[in-house]
Amino acid sequence: MVVAFLLAGAGLTPVDPDSPNTQRIEDLYWFIGFWAAIVALSVAIPLILFTIRYRSRGRSRTVEGPQVHGSTRLEIAWTAVPVLILLTVVGFTFYKLPGITLDAAAGEDVTKIRVEGRQFYWQYRYPNGVIAIDKLRAPADRLVELEITAPDTDVIHSYWVPDLFPKFDAIPGKINTTRFRGKAGTYQGQCVEFCGIQHAAMLAEIELVGADEFDSWLTDEARRQETRDSDLGAQIFTGVCAKCHGAQGEGLIGPGLTAATVSNAALVADVVRHGRGKMPDVGAGWDDRQMKALTDYLAERFKAESSGS
Amino acid sequence: MAVRAETPRYPVPWTRGRFASWVATVDHKRIGILYIATSLAFFLAGGVMALLIRTQLAQPDMHVVTKDSYNELFTMHGTTMIFLVVVPIFAGFANFLVPLMIGARDVAFPRLNALSYWLFLFGGIVLLGSFFATGGAARAGWTGYPPLSSDLSGNGQDLWIVGLHILAISSLLGAINFIVTIHNMRTAGMTWMRLPLFVWTIEIYAALLVIVLPAIGAGLTMLLLDRQGWTHFFIPTEGGQPLLYQHVFWFFGHPEVYVMILPAMGIVSEVIPVFARKPIFGYKAIAFSTVAIGFYSLLVWAHHMFAVGLPIGLQIWFMIASLTIAVPTGVKIFNWLATTWRGNLIFDTAMLWALGFVAVFTIGGLSGIFVAVFPFDWQVHDTYFVVAHLHYVLFGGSVFGIFAGLYYWWPKMFGRYLNETLGKWHFWLTFIGFNVAFFPQHFLGLLGMPRRVYTYRDDELWATYNLISSMGSYVMGAGVLVFLINIWWSRRRSPRAVPDPWRGDTLEWYATSPPPPHNFDKVPYVTSSRPLRDVRRRVEERKR
Repeated sequence: MVVAFLLAGAGLTPVDPDSPNTQRIEDLYWFIGFWAAIVALSVAIPLILFTIRYRSRGRSRTVEGPQVHGSTRLEIAWTAVPVLILLTVVGFTFYKLPGITLDAAAGEDVTKIRVEGRQFYWQYRYPNGVIAIDKLRAPADRLVELEITAPDTDVIHSYWVPDLFPKFDAIPGKINTTRFRGKAGTYQGQCVEFCGIQHAAMLAEIELVGADEFDSWLTDEARRQETRDSDLGAQIFTGVCAKCHGAQGEGLIGPGLTAATVSNAALVADVVRHGRGKMPDVGAGWDDRQMKALTDYLAERFKAESSGS
Repeated sequence: MAVRAETPRYPVPWTRGRFASWVATVDHKRIGILYIATSLAFFLAGGVMALLIRTQLAQPDMHVVTKDSYNELFTMHGTTMIFLVVVPIFAGFANFLVPLMIGARDVAFPRLNALSYWLFLFGGIVLLGSFFATGGAARAGWTGYPPLSSDLSGNGQDLWIVGLHILAISSLLGAINFIVTIHNMRTAGMTWMRLPLFVWTIEIYAALLVIVLPAIGAGLTMLLLDRQGWTHFFIPTEGGQPLLYQHVFWFFGHPEVYVMILPAMGIVSEVIPVFARKPIFGYKAIAFSTVAIGFYSLLVWAHHMFAVGLPIGLQIWFMIASLTIAVPTGVKIFNWLATTWRGNLIFDTAMLWALGFVAVFTIGGLSGIFVAVFPFDWQVHDTYFVVAHLHYVLFGGSVFGIFAGLYYWWPKMFGRYLNETLGKWHFWLTFIGFNVAFFPQHFLGLLGMPRRVYTYRDDELWATYNLISSMGSYVMGAGVLVFLINIWWSRRRSPRAVPDPWRGDTLEWYATSPPPPHNFDKVPYVTSSRPLRDVRRRVEERKR
């Protein structure tokens, strides 16, 4: 156990699996690894032994080894044995597969969340309409089903939190499903399909909280977003705007944001929805409530800063 | 008035110059050398890009290059190494060696051969010209997936597409030439079962290229039309299907991987027996496993797409087909090992590279088993685990094989040796640097580090592995410098090479080093897969 933990910590195995499916993927890793090690040794040992044992030791190039042209029996053996090993690996994969796809049992409580990959942020949509950016809050110890996709106007991304579930691509016009049932805690992940200049900054975080706490949070959050009392605007700014315009709006890849550039809500909405120049249409498909959350936040934040200085 | 036809003079006067003779040449050996020299120049360019990438990643949040430049670098590094180095350098080896090995005067279509070389050079210039395009070089990865590649502004991506088109035509012409040559121009007695194993791999290399290059040509044309025309094959807003591109690309792209490894296996199959002083163990098994690998390589493309959400049944098919390739590959590895059994192993540099190939390629093959199992691939796909795997097969495999071939055939090509001491430095620096650079990347992938990122999580373990990896890449860079010194040594200091310095088995060693333009005055009748050994034995018997 301790050894396994140290190995996992050092990256010699997949990161600590915290969901039954990633646990089974790790089982698969150990199973393949066992056979791979045997094959590796069966190549390495003869390779090292023969190079030492049969080295020339100054014998002339004219000295030939025995003129052996082959051995049908041996060659059949090293064709057949790998076939058997591979069949074992395929068999074990079939055995573990249902536990990895983690389909819901009949009548099991499932929380479904839509995950949209966008340049360069993750937008989550809960069944009751609550929206979150980059940081996903989900129930612990309950099956969570992620529907991973991307809008038609965007490019391909891939959503992955290594401890919790295997990755799937977020492809425009296609929905991929992955599931997990994790322990409470906070988990880090990120986009793993190259998607443009800020691919490396497209991080994701999943916070798993007790199921009851989650349910009440989700209800409250829906009400807060309805009454524009949530931090959605701040989430959007950090997740969507700051990656290119700087954490303080000071400018990074895109220009700096000032009271003058963001005070006109209609103009901001237009640029965010349709993009401009190098800026992608990050807000294509946002509903008015989401857009309002951003424009309100921008107006408030940048007004406050300019009056403060 | 009667016109007297003038006897054509050969060579035509203007082609006699030192430079012009290379421009006008249709000699397969000179074209082969042009291919190899050009590929090595591109190899240096691609290597510099790799070192810049590793420097940027040595620690988190480095600012060696900009984000855009980083994306251009890894895109162009991959494209350069694949399309401008490994594939054409094998065309170079094949050009030089196939006619010599089969006892022919030249390839079947010498002028077409010259055309394919000049198209290669031109395509390479267009591709690298991408760096000077408005908006910078292509930066959608060597795979160029739309909609990212179809959305990119500037003309870098267009030059990338056009460059690949030109290279595809060049490869296609070359491949047709090799097939026709191998089928029709073998000398008397050179049956298929006496064909050198390197020529077998070139036959399959060429066949695969003929089958898959039209697919990538079509895919790239569609992509270009999506970008600059009015079509929307891959653009989802207009009802296009981005996954179609991935299928087309990998239908080409996976066999391309075997296009890049099979000739390296052929080189290793030539080198190991000569330096073990034994015949190759299981000639037929190695020849037929080459055919088997080529066939199965056409059936596995979607294992690059396990994370796109294909139906499980398809993923199972592609898993089993991919695992199947491990069997003929394993046959080759065990046959090479058996060839060294009870041999008189002479560790000249070529042999070190060949045995190094067996060692590191096995690791790459085994990590390939992991990623072929699709539920495991769901975990590590698009992480550094895959970067490690592909470099173990493409550098540890293809490039080690290329160096084995260069050290082995250098005296034949240039009539001069490469220095053995420098060669051993070159090998050991590369072997150690390579493993230090790429083995830790397996761990990074398992920890969750994605590919194609200009920076990564500020975590001590991630930073440590990345730093080790960067250090290893510098050691590899030092190895390449030693190789350059060795080339200089060979030109300036080496003694003249004898026709058959290694006591080889195949016909190219029957010619002088370098061979005359017409290759052979007379070709011995071939009675086995080791014609030169037969000749040597006959001569030695007569002396007695």
